[in-house]
Amino acid sequence: MTKAIFFKELLKTRRVFWLSLILALLFAVYAIMCIRRVSTSHGVEHVWLIMLMKDQTFIDAIKYVPLLIGIAMGWAQMAPEMQQKRLKLTLHLPYPQNRMILTMVTAGLLQLLVVFLVQALIIGIYYRGIITSEMTWHVMLTTIPWYLAGFDAYLLTSSICLEGRWRRRIALGLIALGIVSIYFMQPAPQAYTGILWGAAIFTLLLVLFSINSVNRFKEGQID
Amino acid sequence: MSVISVKNLCQRYGRGRIIYENLSFEVPQGRILGLLGKNGTGKTTTINILMGFLKPQSGECRIFGEDITAMSPQTRSRIALLLEGHVQYAFMTIAEIERFYSKFYPKWNRDAYYGLMEKLHVTPDQKISSMSNGQRSQVALGLILAQNADLLMLDDFSLGLDPGYRRLFIEYLRDFVKSEGKTVFMTSHIIQDLERLVDDCIIMDYGRILTQMPVKELMSTLRRYSYTDGALPGATDGIYSPWHTGNENEFYSFKQPNEVKQILSAEGIAAADLKAEAPASLEDAFIGLTGRY
Repeated sequence: MTKAIFFKELLKTRRVFWLSLILALLFAVYAIMCIRRVSTSHGVEHVWLIMLMKDQTFIDAIKYVPLLIGIAMGWAQMAPEMQQKRLKLTLHLPYPQNRMILTMVTAGLLQLLVVFLVQALIIGIYYRGIITSEMTWHVMLTTIPWYLAGFDAYLLTSSICLEGRWRRRIALGLIALGIVSIYFMQPAPQAYTGILWGAAIFTLLLVLFSINSVNRFKEGQID
Repeated sequence: MSVISVKNLCQRYGRGRIIYENLSFEVPQGRILGLLGKNGTGKTTTINILMGFLKPQSGECRIFGEDITAMSPQTRSRIALLLEGHVQYAFMTIAEIERFYSKFYPKWNRDAYYGLMEKLHVTPDQKISSMSNGQRSQVALGLILAQNADLLMLDDFSLGLDPGYRRLFIEYLRDFVKSEGKTVFMTSHIIQDLERLVDDCIIMDYGRILTQMPVKELMSTLRRYSYTDGALPGATDGIYSPWHTGNENEFYSFKQPNEVKQILSAEGIAAADLKAEAPASLEDAFIGLTGRY
């Protein structure tokens, strides 16, 4: 049954998944090209110098890509469930209802993980070829909050789509805006490194918003 | 044994109008029960409550003896549900949706589904979203039949269907239900369809049940009374839908002609040419009990 749920979720999201992967790759390539331009014209030493002296990472281009992908994935996966109240079909299936929502969300999170990992790996492998592992790790740690923002955006978009009342959707939208913007408040590299574990746990807890929206749907809280 | 048991159900629209109060009924095993009522009398609301998609304000609903507010997956697997408008996963193809549902139902009957699909002139890779209303209704019906559930709940199955598809739906459903001894709880706006299908009916008015009985009993005990001389009686207990049309007065009642005469004479109505006749159809009986508007 779990496989069947994954099958259904992939049918809804496959297009967005591939588009997201292409988008993530394009931005990874763009970020790499930016570094190559500098290293080709001024030498790799200049890249090192800027990274060390000016605390630059050269990957700002990908900053908002995970956020965009997270929103698109949440919408592609959950909006069809609410069209014509199809969620009733899903909740009527002989499968524990909360586990059903968790399985659906897991399917979305795994797809995001694949997209984000591919992007991060490409950037990481390129950096490792031109700079030290410590500096590569420094760049990767800088990107993690952006990816967490992508996961958060996915979970919050899901809960907004699954919510049946417009007033509550707006409230959730504002909460989402507040949560996601936290990850972009500090522009300095590795500004969030100290709170990454806490932020990751917080991200996982955001699934409770989706479960709450579905429980409200079951009570008939629909406009 | 009752498959569905509803006791003292109360529901309102928000904090406002009462949909019904103290609604109680039972659906016995192996019967096809049609829930009839005008728009807004709470038919879909009742199905939503029974399926756990709406929390009732008070009252108790049980299906297969289990409280619907905490229905187990095992019990849900015994109930096939048709949503109003034949809603299904429109992003799937005919083959994908069969593959998906088959994993959830241990008694899945693939042949029942594809047997019906063969009549539609569609290919397995056709998306449900690209189909007509009628074709979609057959996909939904095929999935219900394949589930081989013990209870079928069908919410307004005739919505948006042309006569041909309605007939196909009814014939397939009737053959399946009668041969397998299934229990069905259904609603429809088109009462002629239900007449061919249901054993029992519940006729709802705003806030209450007007009657629950076998259709045959309803058709043999309800009478249409008409006369030309005298005023209309009030809609008192046992007198339904008094109506003046042309130069004729009419109303419906379960009472015998002699009882009706007594009621009329007590109101000073002569009604010397009082005629009593059986309603021509279930729709006439429905209109007779609920009124024209």
